[in-house]
Amino acid sequence: MKSVSWANKETIEQIRSLLLVFVTIFIVLNACACISIESASGEMHTAVQERTSSATKEQKNLLDNIYKAPYPGDYKLVTIEEGKNLEEVWQARGGVGKAGGVLNVSSFGSGPKTFNCWAASDDQSAGIASLMYESLLDVDPWTAKSYPRLARSFSVSHDHKDYTFTLRKGLLWSDGYPITADDVVYTFGTLIAKGFGNSSARDILTVYGHYPTVEKIDDLTVRFHTEIPFAPFLSSLRMAIAPKHILEPITNKLIAQNKIGEFNNFWDINCNPETIVASGPFKLHRYVPGQRIELVPNPHYSMVDKLGHRLPYLSKFVNLIVPDQNTQLLKFYAGDVDLLDVRTVRGSDAALVKQREAADHFKMYNLGPADGTIFLMFNLCRRKNPKTGKFYVDPIKQKWFNNSYFRQAVTHAVDRKRMVDNILRGVGYELFTAETQASVYFNKQLQPFPRDIEFAKKLLEQGGFHLKDNVLYDSEGNKIEFTLYTNAGNSTRDAVCIIIQNDLKELGIKVNYQPVDFNILVDKASNSLDWEGMVMGLTGSRLEPYDGANVWKANGRLHMFDQRLAINGDKIVVSDARDWEKEIDNCFDKGATTFDLAKRHQYFDRFQQIAYDQQSFIYLFTNLDLSAVRNHIGNYMPTPLGIGSSPRGSMHNIEEIFINDSASEALKK
Amino acid sequence: MSLPVYILRRALQALPLLLVISIMGFIMMRLAPIDPLAYLKANPAISQETIKAEEERLGLNKPPVVQYVLWLGNLLKGDLGISTSGGSVSSLLLQRAGNTLLLSVSTVIFTWLIAIPAGVYAAVYRNTIIDRLLSIFTAIGMSMPTFLLALLLLMLATKTHILPIGGLTSQDFFERNYIGKCFDIIAHLIIPVTVLTLIGLAAIQRQMRASLLDVLQADYVRTARAKGLMENSVIYIHALKTAINPLITLFGFEFADLLSGAALTETVLAYPGLGRLTLEAVQSKDMNLVMASLMLGAIMLITGNLLADILLRFADPRITLE
Repeated sequence: MKSVSWANKETIEQIRSLLLVFVTIFIVLNACACISIESASGEMHTAVQERTSSATKEQKNLLDNIYKAPYPGDYKLVTIEEGKNLEEVWQARGGVGKAGGVLNVSSFGSGPKTFNCWAASDDQSAGIASLMYESLLDVDPWTAKSYPRLARSFSVSHDHKDYTFTLRKGLLWSDGYPITADDVVYTFGTLIAKGFGNSSARDILTVYGHYPTVEKIDDLTVRFHTEIPFAPFLSSLRMAIAPKHILEPITNKLIAQNKIGEFNNFWDINCNPETIVASGPFKLHRYVPGQRIELVPNPHYSMVDKLGHRLPYLSKFVNLIVPDQNTQLLKFYAGDVDLLDVRTVRGSDAALVKQREAADHFKMYNLGPADGTIFLMFNLCRRKNPKTGKFYVDPIKQKWFNNSYFRQAVTHAVDRKRMVDNILRGVGYELFTAETQASVYFNKQLQPFPRDIEFAKKLLEQGGFHLKDNVLYDSEGNKIEFTLYTNAGNSTRDAVCIIIQNDLKELGIKVNYQPVDFNILVDKASNSLDWEGMVMGLTGSRLEPYDGANVWKANGRLHMFDQRLAINGDKIVVSDARDWEKEIDNCFDKGATTFDLAKRHQYFDRFQQIAYDQQSFIYLFTNLDLSAVRNHIGNYMPTPLGIGSSPRGSMHNIEEIFINDSASEALKK
Repeated sequence: MSLPVYILRRALQALPLLLVISIMGFIMMRLAPIDPLAYLKANPAISQETIKAEEERLGLNKPPVVQYVLWLGNLLKGDLGISTSGGSVSSLLLQRAGNTLLLSVSTVIFTWLIAIPAGVYAAVYRNTIIDRLLSIFTAIGMSMPTFLLALLLLMLATKTHILPIGGLTSQDFFERNYIGKCFDIIAHLIIPVTVLTLIGLAAIQRQMRASLLDVLQADYVRTARAKGLMENSVIYIHALKTAINPLITLFGFEFADLLSGAALTETVLAYPGLGRLTLEAVQSKDMNLVMASLMLGAIMLITGNLLADILLRFADPRITLE
């Protein structure tokens, strides 16, 4: 149906054909341009590689000099008087800085999803929450020991079941309301216990099905009690304390209406920032959607510097939201942001960033190996899909993957060194263990091994495979071939898969590499289980190996190499655990209930030994944590243990960080 | 047919079209094998209960048909639902709509202000060096991938320190006075507007040139010249008026783009627009948000076409509304 009669029908034809021609030309040219950019970027990479070889010395420097900030000593408790309020505050450990100044940092992605600390489940939301809230205790970024934060002291009973905390006197929320034992009891006894917000907090505190009890002894003292002694419990208590006077009316209403899930809508990204009450160094000031988050000092933050000035020094903390990593880098070069934090400096950029260090007035810090891992895994699942009655994994391939000689051969055939040199441009470490070198529990006994293709071939022979015309066959004469998945769009993992494909070709194994969307990859690994080989990455913990229980225990939700599924969404029941899986379970269970440090180390060393022998995850490499900071930022003292979520990142002592005007003025001259 | 009746009829015709678009959009999003909660599932720290609660909250555990009917019912009530990334969809769209309008309106103004005179010039002085240069220039603009152009300009800005690197406002924006705020926004708009103008220039300049060339060869132009009319009045009064018709149609299409945004440019330049929001929504299968931007785009396209038809009616007396 035409509603307009054209005077000239030919004109409309002409327009159409013209438009069509334009569109075609546009598409063709665009495609050409894209291809030429692809190939150009390939050339650029080789160019970069050549350039890095000239900059190898610098890079070696960067790799060898792991930055070690000197230990500044312990916090001191001092009492200050403000009006009638006597307040016990911590005295900061760093040098005396200058008050005032704006710090700009950037976060990659689409911005935080909530400002509600207890509902946060993504990195940036958690990072912003960590600027706004304090917990009873924290872990010292130098010594890895727990020290009191909102508390003035804490003690653990001899049977390791009771934990008593005494709060500091005179603490105030940012709205001037006192912080007392009631807030602590409310946080652990109601907010977390009832599952408000992100209910993972409740799981972390639950010890073998028992949630701890918390009771108020007096206005400033609380006691936690666990049924079973649990070693990671103390560090699990590092959870932000919530302002009872604000949240209790809301949670009470939601409990009455039985709408606990709606707590997530409170203090969400559309809330009025002025209503948020904080206990940490900063409080939310303004959120400009898609652009930045502005935080200002909490006037009642309970820490002072050595001259008694209340911290933080900064007058404003600005967190820019940048959806593109190249733009993030350019913003740093241009001086729009003061810090490129760890996980922002990619290995491939490191050499180029390093070269600009002197000219652009910043300093690069190497904090050593990261806690994240990249690994190759095979689907060891031997079960049938109860819905279809078919095996999740082809029974022929099941035999190969479950053959430990096969996995051993693969681990000796993959070229980790080439991955580190070519993909990370040397800015990373080869990895052979479940805990990375960054972890306090890293098992040093487990030896790294070089690539040895002959040894790998021998292992395959022992495992019953044989090579004919450069093609590997199993004992029944089946060609060895499998599909390898990873997430599309991740250039690092893409390159890893191609190296694996080439390396295994030398063993006669055909790898069909197929990148898929991240969402699909996760669905395959955790739900549909229809995969054979996969390259994945996981974040780790430097302090507590038990955090890996979700991955390593046979009933874990991320026990990806042999994922058991929950029936009817309930608990995961394991009926076909292998002996070594049972032993790993035992290591984790014992490790969790043992308090003797040496014994704990033994259990987690044993766990790493089993993982190393079985190669159920074939670990490949870990990145290096690098950050770059402008010279006029004072008191920046990054440590490997003091790395948190972006935007706080490596600034564990954010309250002490200041802008050194004299340095920035000298820079202008 | 009078104008109001005509508009009403077109609006009624659009309703079933919108319904079909929404169904198609919904089916396509359902077919995409994307799990909006994948990032939560891949995080070792997140519990099974949290994931289940999240599914419940977003309605992901209901059958597709039920989900669609629920969505449609809420839409008729004016409720666009909640986004997986937190916050209500309507407020998310509203936050970004102003920024996108600012960018697209300034782009349209610049594009047309440059393209129309350039097209007329190229037609009148056909095959001169300037005509050729113009065609090379617009071809480059059109064939250059947007993200590359944006990145190149960003690098230039990094080197020269004249323009800001992406974003829409500086961090001290809210402390500035009114004039300072205006200048800040203008400085941030220069790069995105340049990118989008360069990209859009060719289509309009080329169309203008071709269409004017057609008309200039028509009999009545020859008659006008033969009668001894001034060349300027031949071109600018008689010929241009006729040649402008196809451009009005083009304008109708451009109108649809006003609110759809330019996702790639916005991402590279960290510009807080609707395009980036929609792209992120598609990537994370944020059902409600994608559906809302899809419907917004469809409504804008239909309105744009209607507007173009009505404008044509006023520009060209030969056209009647049937």
